[in-house]
Amino acid sequence: MDILQVENVTKAYASHVALDNVSLNVPQGCVYGLLGPNGAGKTTLIRIINHITAPDSGRVILDGHPLTQNDVEHIGYLPEERGLYKKMKVGEQAVFFARLKGLSKHDATIRLKQWFDKFDISNWWDKKVEELSKGMAQKVQFIVTVLHRPKLLIFDEPFSGFDPINANLLKEEILQLKNEGATVIFSTHNMSSVEEICDNITLINKSRNILSGNVDELRRRFFGNRYDLTFNGDARALMEKLLPVAGEFTLGEPDGQGREHISLHLNDGASLRDLITIANENVNLAGFNESISSMNDIFIRAVKESESTTEN
Amino acid sequence: MSKIGIVIQREYCERVTKKSFIITTILMPLLMVALMVIPTIIMTMVGPSETTVLVIDKSNKIFQKLESNEDVKFIHTSEPLDSALAREDVGAVLVIPENIIEARGLALKYYSNGPSSMTTESLITRQINDAVEADRLKSYQIDDLAKILDDVHSDVALSTLRNDKDSEEATSSGLSYGIGIMMSLTLYMFLLIYGQMVMTSIIEEKNNRVLELVVSSIKPAQLMMGKILGVTLVALTQILIWGVLITCMSAFLLPALLPAEAMQDVAAVQAGNFAAVSNTENLEIIQAVSLLGSVGYVIKLFGLLTLFLMTGFLFYAAIYAAIGSAVDNIQDAGQLQTVIVVPVIFGFIFAMTAAADPSSSLAFWMSIIPFTAPMVMVARIPFGIPGWEIALSLVLLIASFVGMVWLAGKIYRVGIFMYGKKPTFKEIIRWVNYK
Repeated sequence: MDILQVENVTKAYASHVALDNVSLNVPQGCVYGLLGPNGAGKTTLIRIINHITAPDSGRVILDGHPLTQNDVEHIGYLPEERGLYKKMKVGEQAVFFARLKGLSKHDATIRLKQWFDKFDISNWWDKKVEELSKGMAQKVQFIVTVLHRPKLLIFDEPFSGFDPINANLLKEEILQLKNEGATVIFSTHNMSSVEEICDNITLINKSRNILSGNVDELRRRFFGNRYDLTFNGDARALMEKLLPVAGEFTLGEPDGQGREHISLHLNDGASLRDLITIANENVNLAGFNESISSMNDIFIRAVKESESTTEN
Repeated sequence: MSKIGIVIQREYCERVTKKSFIITTILMPLLMVALMVIPTIIMTMVGPSETTVLVIDKSNKIFQKLESNEDVKFIHTSEPLDSALAREDVGAVLVIPENIIEARGLALKYYSNGPSSMTTESLITRQINDAVEADRLKSYQIDDLAKILDDVHSDVALSTLRNDKDSEEATSSGLSYGIGIMMSLTLYMFLLIYGQMVMTSIIEEKNNRVLELVVSSIKPAQLMMGKILGVTLVALTQILIWGVLITCMSAFLLPALLPAEAMQDVAAVQAGNFAAVSNTENLEIIQAVSLLGSVGYVIKLFGLLTLFLMTGFLFYAAIYAAIGSAVDNIQDAGQLQTVIVVPVIFGFIFAMTAAADPSSSLAFWMSIIPFTAPMVMVARIPFGIPGWEIALSLVLLIASFVGMVWLAGKIYRVGIFMYGKKPTFKEIIRWVNYK
């Protein structure tokens, strides 16, 4: 079941269109990556999901019903631009945000004490935020985001401001929350930072959803049957010989030992054995690997494809 | 508690517990009292600075009529002018010519060592003129002149009573003027200082980047409303504390400061018994004291002041909020702020003319138009204006506050996410139409 459905959402500002007919479905209990370069429209989409801004057209459905202001109590949001009230004490401030999310003062205090104990920061309760270091403030912000046990968690560029230790802590806590049944949406322009934890992704480029789906399926779709060859010999001659079984060649730079690199796509129906046999007959094969494609590669390819289709 | 309530609570607690708030709230009334009392104390302690005037009276008719008092001390001398001028132990040398009685349009020579005060100069000219007039009158040789003059002398004071009111209450336009200006000034200060507070706190939230976190839990318009109401409550707290302090002082301190016989007169005026007032010369002051000493009157004034302060502040705070949301720092807010500062200053200027002539049509209209209404209306209130005018003004003010909040909310919601570029008025107006 999908916890969140975004249907044909369009949002335009005076000078540009931030979202152009974007649709996506977030399955319950998954970690969902919202990827795209800076300025693609991710933050606008997140604000719409958070009921901060309204779309010009289209709608957002949470848990089977159109999103309302009351639903924000079931969403935990860690914005990209995050800050706290500098002059306020840490504990008071956390209680304030928890109450805005619908918790009672009493419940908020109890839960906060637990989290503070867990992170070993109980002695910060009466400190002012301006006395905290950035890393310390990040922990407080994380607690504020998850305290009300939201069904849906949204992290906008979560790792950008966090130091490596906190980023790791964050990752672990997020996976923990996922195991407890929460759905997590990540938004980032740094593809590699989330590919290991995302189950599904959507790529947004220039206000449009250009690619959505399960990470493993996408990998197969885009980079299935691709292989890298390393060898000593004539690369061009080899490519000609390989034409019956493979295509989409890319020639790499020779390495320090004078070895050539070729990346290729095995034709459908052709056998891997034939490919290796032909290669062995023609060159001195030094290495043979299946290509491991990163989300970054997929993203670049998807962007190229979408742009060429728009131009056509 | 509703979400707006939570925001109000945060805004209120954060401000009221600040040391600066506590200090100004307690010190301001003390400072005001000190401003009134200290000069009196200094005067009594140091005593008046006496100017010694050396008089060279060539006519021999004037000096004996000059009366020394605590400001000026006259000393006769027969020294020639040169040696008199050479003396350094006197403040000034006055030369009275021989023909002072007969001559017309004379200018007497007054040599002053150091700056001379206007009070001293006017005192000297008045005394000399009196002396000359008396001497000239005497030359007509009228019998019983002194008695006739006493008979002729008139000493009238005006004691105004309101005829159009149910109860015959004493008013004093001088006092009303003073109170009107004071209330208008208080309101002016509160509007600008507390309005600025709303604006800077919004800019701060924007710069802190805490805003996005807050608006993910509460609608931007609710947040803005909560902030405005929170600050309004702080302003009301401050003015109420001041009100209580001032009422206490007017109830207890004034009677203690005034001499007993004056207080009898005050009591007589309060009881509406003007005939019993013994000292008609100070009627104005006694009326003033009697008014200020009547706690009911002070509370009524304060109640209305608070009401206009609140509605006026809500109206202007909404504009301040819209401006705060549109800019990134206080410097950028300067130009946009003119929208507020100009009408508020105009309001205060109109308030001064309204206090001078409270029933003029200019004063009436300016106290109805919401932009200037708070300042001008409180300046007119002490004069006792019809209740329907106050009600009309309040209703319009509240209506325009609601309209302004709606407009400001629309701007705020877009403005808080605008970073970097300073927007123009045109852009801000366009934000209103965003969905």
